[in-house]
Amino acid sequence: MHDGSGRIVVSNLTKSFGQVAAVQNLSFHVEPGSVTGFLGPNGAGKTTTLRMLLGLVRPTAGYSTINGQPFEKLGNPGRVVGAVLEAQGFHPSRSALNHLRVYAAAMGLPDQRAHEVVQLVGLGGAANRAAGGFSLGMKQRLALATALLGDPQVLVLDEPANGLDPEGIAWLRTFLRAFASSGRTVLISSHLLAEVEQTIDQVVIISRGQTMFYGMLDDLRKQQQSRVIVQPADPSALVAALQAEGITGIQPTPDGKVAVVDATIQQIGDIAAKAGLAIYGVQEEKADLEQLFFRLTSGQYAAPGAQMYGQPQGGYAMPYQQHQQQSGGFQYQQPIAQQPYQQQPHQPPVAQQPYQQTSPYQAPTPYQQPAPPSPYQPDPTANPTHNDTTGQGGNA
Amino acid sequence: MGNMITAEFRKILTTRLWWALLIPAFIMALGVAWIWSAITTGISNDLVDEELIQQFDVPVDEISWSVIALVRGMNLASIFPMVFGALGLASELHRKTITTSFLTASSRPGLLAAKSITYALWGLIYGLIIAAGVSLGTLIGSDRNYLPDAKQWFLILLAGLFMCVLWTIFALGVGALIGSPVGTLVILLIYTLIVGPLGEIALFTTTGGSHAPGFMPNGSANGMTGSTASVLLFDQIQALILDRGGQVVDDDVREGFQQFISVVAGAHGAFSLWLSGLIFLAWTGIFYVTGMLRNQARDIT
Repeated sequence: MHDGSGRIVVSNLTKSFGQVAAVQNLSFHVEPGSVTGFLGPNGAGKTTTLRMLLGLVRPTAGYSTINGQPFEKLGNPGRVVGAVLEAQGFHPSRSALNHLRVYAAAMGLPDQRAHEVVQLVGLGGAANRAAGGFSLGMKQRLALATALLGDPQVLVLDEPANGLDPEGIAWLRTFLRAFASSGRTVLISSHLLAEVEQTIDQVVIISRGQTMFYGMLDDLRKQQQSRVIVQPADPSALVAALQAEGITGIQPTPDGKVAVVDATIQQIGDIAAKAGLAIYGVQEEKADLEQLFFRLTSGQYAAPGAQMYGQPQGGYAMPYQQHQQQSGGFQYQQPIAQQPYQQQPHQPPVAQQPYQQTSPYQAPTPYQQPAPPSPYQPDPTANPTHNDTTGQGGNA
Repeated sequence: MGNMITAEFRKILTTRLWWALLIPAFIMALGVAWIWSAITTGISNDLVDEELIQQFDVPVDEISWSVIALVRGMNLASIFPMVFGALGLASELHRKTITTSFLTASSRPGLLAAKSITYALWGLIYGLIIAAGVSLGTLIGSDRNYLPDAKQWFLILLAGLFMCVLWTIFALGVGALIGSPVGTLVILLIYTLIVGPLGEIALFTTTGGSHAPGFMPNGSANGMTGSTASVLLFDQIQALILDRGGQVVDDDVREGFQQFISVVAGAHGAFSLWLSGLIFLAWTGIFYVTGMLRNQARDIT
């Protein structure tokens, strides 16, 4: 029998459907008392992984356990783990309450429990209506009610926010936090980090069936790179002064400012003051978590250029950092935008307010910067849009 | 196991399919038996008056021709428990309720076993309703003197009940194997209503009236009731002839007569009740076991 720990272990899990490798060598574990986000773009292998964990899909290699046992050895699994896998598993003409009574019977629970959970998820008013007439959000709630029937220790949810209205999402968030804080385990998948960011403590990010990041959400947050946007009187002079001080992470912005990644506001201010350069504005920009997520999961269906992150290293690699180190002074350079969720890089520059850049990592491509081959001109091979050699001065 | 059987019964009773099939099953059983008993009654009444028949000294009007109505009614109405069984697992796969069913079951084999027991019981329920329907239809359509005695009646209904249970499990297995409700129903209905009966006639005639059709799934199923009726009728006629001082007919005549009644009952080339039952049981076993093995290993994606 299971050990009652509430622990989920996924170890070297691999699944191939014919030639298609849906999940490759995936490893992570989920501890009780926490909410773990299982993130990746659609088609990354999230659902297949969860279904292997729940004994619905047989792995090609590797194993997974809940409470120290594979799913099929849990005895009465509905009492240990509840799962919301899809909002479609209902007979259209069976009422919500009858649906719950069927599975309450299967788990050996009294009918009273069906009444309790239907109230718990807020479907009390629709309990006697046929599930076929439910909205997607109501079906999600009914699926959650089914998962909660056995009062399980572990909850596994696959894209539960699909179809939920904002109120429903907020409710679900509160519910899951409370569920986890009672010492139970929650594993929740999503293709949108923002959707679960406020709910989760730990995160597993996968792409193309492989682990891209596994750790605490706070650790992921710490990886957020910031850059300082400086509006100098003379960009060329500022760049020269910064480079003289050994600061190389410099890039022009489309609106004639200078973006610096490897120096603080104080350092830049000191250098500018020392060089006697006027500065009209300084602002620090942080990449948001969602951008980081795009980075980690980009290129799933992309051209060869997307292979930059390489193979995961034991499932714990921090590929984003590696990339940062490799790409030298062009940390913000977006390598050919294959990201399905990526902001369009060629949007009109007028849309980019100087201090409201929606995508800090975005290449400043739209602007044909009328700049001379000044000292801070980036490497043309890395940023072909800055090959402008009109000989005109900067626009400062 | 008890919990899972309760759950399976709830699955069935909380949707409309069970009575949506049970009502037409009863009506068809009643109607078909009524029509066939009326036909056999009419033909027999005509034959009694024929001089040719009167010369044979066979009391045509004392023979229980209505057993043919019981057989025809049960055989045709058995498509309803078959349809019911066909949807048992296939519709769960189609509607994806199988996901929750597997997640809440102690094990996959446990769930499949609970489903099989439940559907066998429902096959019996359908069989009982169909038996009531054919009995009522025969009572209405037949002249009193052509009605079988209680023992004959009971034996044919018993064979029919067994057939209904096996058809349900047979179809459950086919549905589990194919996985699609529509595909399963199309294949089973085309087979049992068109390919099976016509194929058996073709096989019967091309093989010179051999037992070959009795080896087929449909042929062996129909043979269970059909051969029961033919044996009963033959024994009855034999007894009547002996009562009147006649002789025991030889085996060739017996065989020929039984084959003739089997054809009339729609079971060409049928084996005896037990052989037919064993053959159909084997067919049921093949489809049931392969269907269940397929679902034991199936990835539920």
